[in-house]
Amino acid sequence: MAERRKFKKRYCRYCEQKVEFIDYKDLDAIRFSLSERYKIMPRRLTGNCKKHQDMVTEAIKRARQVALVPYIVDRKRVIENPFELIK
Amino acid sequence: MKNAYETLFIVKPTLTEEEINATVEKVKEVLAKVDAELRAELTMGMRRLAYPVQKHERGYYTVFYYNAPGSAIAELERNLKYDENVIKFMTVKYSNKRELAQFEKQIAAAKKAPEATSEEAPANEESAEA
Repeated sequence: MAERRKFKKRYCRYCEQKVEFIDYKDLDAIRFSLSERYKIMPRRLTGNCKKHQDMVTEAIKRARQVALVPYIVDRKRVIENPFELIK
Repeated sequence: MKNAYETLFIVKPTLTEEEINATVEKVKEVLAKVDAELRAELTMGMRRLAYPVQKHERGYYTVFYYNAPGSAIAELERNLKYDENVIKFMTVKYSNKRELAQFEKQIAAAKKAPEATSEEAPANEESAEA
């Protein structure tokens, strides 16, 4: 086990910034926890703490409901940098 | 007993500006009718949707922050559901202490934002004229 732990220790980014609540409309805050295909990144990769992972999960799911974040991205539904596409 | 709520809804992009404003006003009237106290309004404007909704690629986003009794929500959502110009809506309740603090913060932010947009708006008009 000890040998396999090659990546460095990660800290919760939201804890560092002392985020109290993550708003689903705040895409910049959500963005960090999304993969390239707009999946929710697991805690083991982002290093988020449980508290903030729960918050961000809820925010992402809400953002998906109101079409701010896509549910899926595949070859049929390719979206090029949708965060910048405001208009 | 009034709770803190936030409702976001998306208006069809095919409408003219007047029609969009009329739809937003209509929702406001419903809010007033159901005894809701409108705290702040946040206009996010025309945005690209992350996925097509009723074959629309874009939509006009508006957010209302308000305090209302729980029974008001059913009536409001019923009205939004029957409004053909509204393609999507979502209501979020702010209940615990931390969320309520955030609610106040967002109201303050939303109240600041219209000033910024009003400054931008004349500039856009000028560019449109030019």
